Amino acid sequence: MVRAIAAAVACLILLASPAAAAPEDVANDISNEIMSPFCDGVTLHDCPSQEALELRNRIEAWVSEGQSRTQIMSHLEREFGAGIRAVPPAEGAGFVAWIPPLVALAAGAAGAWAIVRKWSRRTQAAPRVSVTMTSEEGHRLDQELAMLRAAASREGEWP
Amino acid sequence: MPLEVQGQSLNPLGLGSLAGLGRPSLLTALAFAAAGAVLCLLGARKARRDLSDAGIRASVAAAAFTVFATFCLLTAFFAHDFSIAYVASYSSRSLTGAYTFSALWGGMEGSLLLWALLLTVLGAIALRRASSAPRDLVAWAGAVFSSISCFFLFLLAVPADPFARLATAPADGQGLNPLLQSPGMLIHPPLLYLGFVGFSIPFAFGVAALLSKRLDDEWLRATRRWTLLAWSSLSIGIVLGGAWAYTELGWGGYWAWDPVENASFMPWLTATAFLHSIVIQEKRRMLKVWNLSLILLTYVLAVFGTFLTRSGILSSIHTFSEGDVGKYFLPYLALVLIAGIALIATRRDALSSENRLDSLLSRESAFIANNVLFLAAAFTVLWGTVYPIVNEWLTGLRLSVGPPFFNRAFIPIGLAIIALTGLGPLISWRRMRAAGLLRLLRVPLAIAVAVVAALGLGGVDSFGALLAFGLCAFTATAVGSEFVRGSRVHRRREALSWPAALSRTVARNRRRYGGYVVHLGVVLIVIGFAGGWAKVERSRELDPGESMRIGAYALSYEGLRSSETPEKQVNDAAIRVTRGSEPVTMLHPQRNFHLASRQTQSEVAIRTTPLEDLYVVVTAVDADSAIVLRAFVNPLTWWIWAGALVMLGGMGVLMSGPSPVTVPVPAPRRLSHAAAS
Repeated sequence: MVRAIAAAVACLILLASPAAAAPEDVANDISNEIMSPFCDGVTLHDCPSQEALELRNRIEAWVSEGQSRTQIMSHLEREFGAGIRAVPPAEGAGFVAWIPPLVALAAGAAGAWAIVRKWSRRTQAAPRVSVTMTSEEGHRLDQELAMLRAAASREGEWP
Repeated sequence: MPLEVQGQSLNPLGLGSLAGLGRPSLLTALAFAAAGAVLCLLGARKARRDLSDAGIRASVAAAAFTVFATFCLLTAFFAHDFSIAYVASYSSRSLTGAYTFSALWGGMEGSLLLWALLLTVLGAIALRRASSAPRDLVAWAGAVFSSISCFFLFLLAVPADPFARLATAPADGQGLNPLLQSPGMLIHPPLLYLGFVGFSIPFAFGVAALLSKRLDDEWLRATRRWTLLAWSSLSIGIVLGGAWAYTELGWGGYWAWDPVENASFMPWLTATAFLHSIVIQEKRRMLKVWNLSLILLTYVLAVFGTFLTRSGILSSIHTFSEGDVGKYFLPYLALVLIAGIALIATRRDALSSENRLDSLLSRESAFIANNVLFLAAAFTVLWGTVYPIVNEWLTGLRLSVGPPFFNRAFIPIGLAIIALTGLGPLISWRRMRAAGLLRLLRVPLAIAVAVVAALGLGGVDSFGALLAFGLCAFTATAVGSEFVRGSRVHRRREALSWPAALSRTVARNRRRYGGYVVHLGVVLIVIGFAGGWAKVERSRELDPGESMRIGAYALSYEGLRSSETPEKQVNDAAIRVTRGSEPVTMLHPQRNFHLASRQTQSEVAIRTTPLEDLYVVVTAVDADSAIVLRAFVNPLTWWIWAGALVMLGGMGVLMSGPSPVTVPVPAPRRLSHAAAS
């Protein structure tokens, strides 16, 4: 089973090798990576304005001329400023954007693991309890059985 | 009900404007809410049921006056009382009846009024119906709820008065934003608000549990169905928002990680974590602090979302109005957060778990992992949403955080959640042997590998898409096997047919199997998302008679037909769609000019099939009838809407189940499986 999964993953990686894309597709990709200077809060790709349409056409023309993505992003950044990038750069101030989600996930996972381990150890260390119920436990059991019966009787109704 | 005759809106209410009574009504509602808060507080502190009952009656009165104030604003809309600034800003004489109604929530003041309406009405119903809950808990909940109502009614009374008058009434209003003139907008905002407001009920009862020191499960029992109702409303509201964006905005997508979308998604994520973790409290009396913290966080995020979108602090395509209310939200949020954390901290000892984990490999651990992932996802969305403000504040540099950031940061967490959705049901409560789990995993893993291999050989060349499809196959099989296992038991015991056994299985444990149906709906939605890997887009300028190709389709532009209605000038393009030599359909995208708002707006045309959508939009029209046609082929989008319907059905099954009771889970048997036991 493990070998089958490893083989499947290897196939996935091989299959993921990119094919040559049409200039329009590259231009669409780039316009998905930049914010529209003409509409608030949307990428250039999603902006419905006439100016956005013209800028998308300009980007497609640059791609057709053979300019690389990096060159095109530099053009755009010079013309519209650093804020045009929809993804903060993974350096300088932009790098900070990527850190907290990773830290939160790692801290959350570590915290949860620590709690689960602690609880689990306590259970293992706890002495076996007698099966004889105290009167309080017996009362609690009666209460819970009554609650069960009540719940069963009002099944399907709103509380 | 005839709402429009020859372009003239009628007043279906049969009344002139009652706007003059609106503000006094709101002020009276505010007074009753304040009285309700004080009376419930006194009733709770002095253990005087007469006072708390009076407080609850006051909250019912506050709801009644808020309903009347809303009715007054509606009469102003239908009577075209443009002396009311809000009516003049968001409606016009040419607006049809249904949209005149939905103009009520077209701007900030009306949205807050809708919020207050739902809040006071739902609060009054929840308090009145909580008759079986302990009275002190209900009294404290009444005090908290009325306090929340006071805040929102205060906003309506002071900074966001929907009844504010203009010095001179214009002859006609500015009309409703054309983007909001969509059937989806008739129900999407109320459902979202119902979700947001609905979470204030478990929040109020959770705070009441802390204040009354009734830290058992009573507050969960009293609010379980409200929590489910709120979550369902928010879920469907979010999906409808996506459907609205897809059919109205014309960019071929349904989710843009816009701040307003994120504002609704963050509380959904924490609420989903809450819905899962309360199961542990119900079954094992664990995670009490965590559950109270989660509902506090969910409520705060719901209000924070309103603050984000109504303060104008962030720009958004969905921000149709903004105003002066932002400065009131921050102190309120700070107060709620600090008071909530302080309360939980002071009750920490009483909130300790009554049980411990028996094993690391248990359903409890899976739920905890689920919570970590949902919280990490919520934090990622929150951080991406506020990062531009934080960065500008700290460095003075304006950076953007758009969809690519969210996709890269969120999708891995989302896929892990999907994997856990499949894994969780296979793990039994308290303890499970690894060998037993591996045995149960064999079939789902084998099917996932087979699906990935088949898709890979079939031409799917995206690693992310293959992983997503594989995980969907794994989860669907794992969840499906739960139904099979449960049905098999009933079939053997009661000699039933498979359909009857399945029906009996679901009916006997509607909460569990309703939840599984919701999970299957989520899987279908993720299949729809994964289809985006193969999205194709083309844009061409076309003269009549010209055509373009996209995917396997040829789109022939046959011409433009122009006409005029009382509301807009319509330019309707006729697009003949063929596939090979086979005719497929005619599509009619439009590019319209709305007279009242002086805005040009595209109306998309979509041919939907389960396999793919062909989506066309006219982005420009010139005087010679030449158009710019933007076309998309969106694979599997249909599954998103189908998945949402399945989720809705699952929520219906879940909500019809009995209220929770705390049942000690029986000791695990070897390879114990809850479905079979």
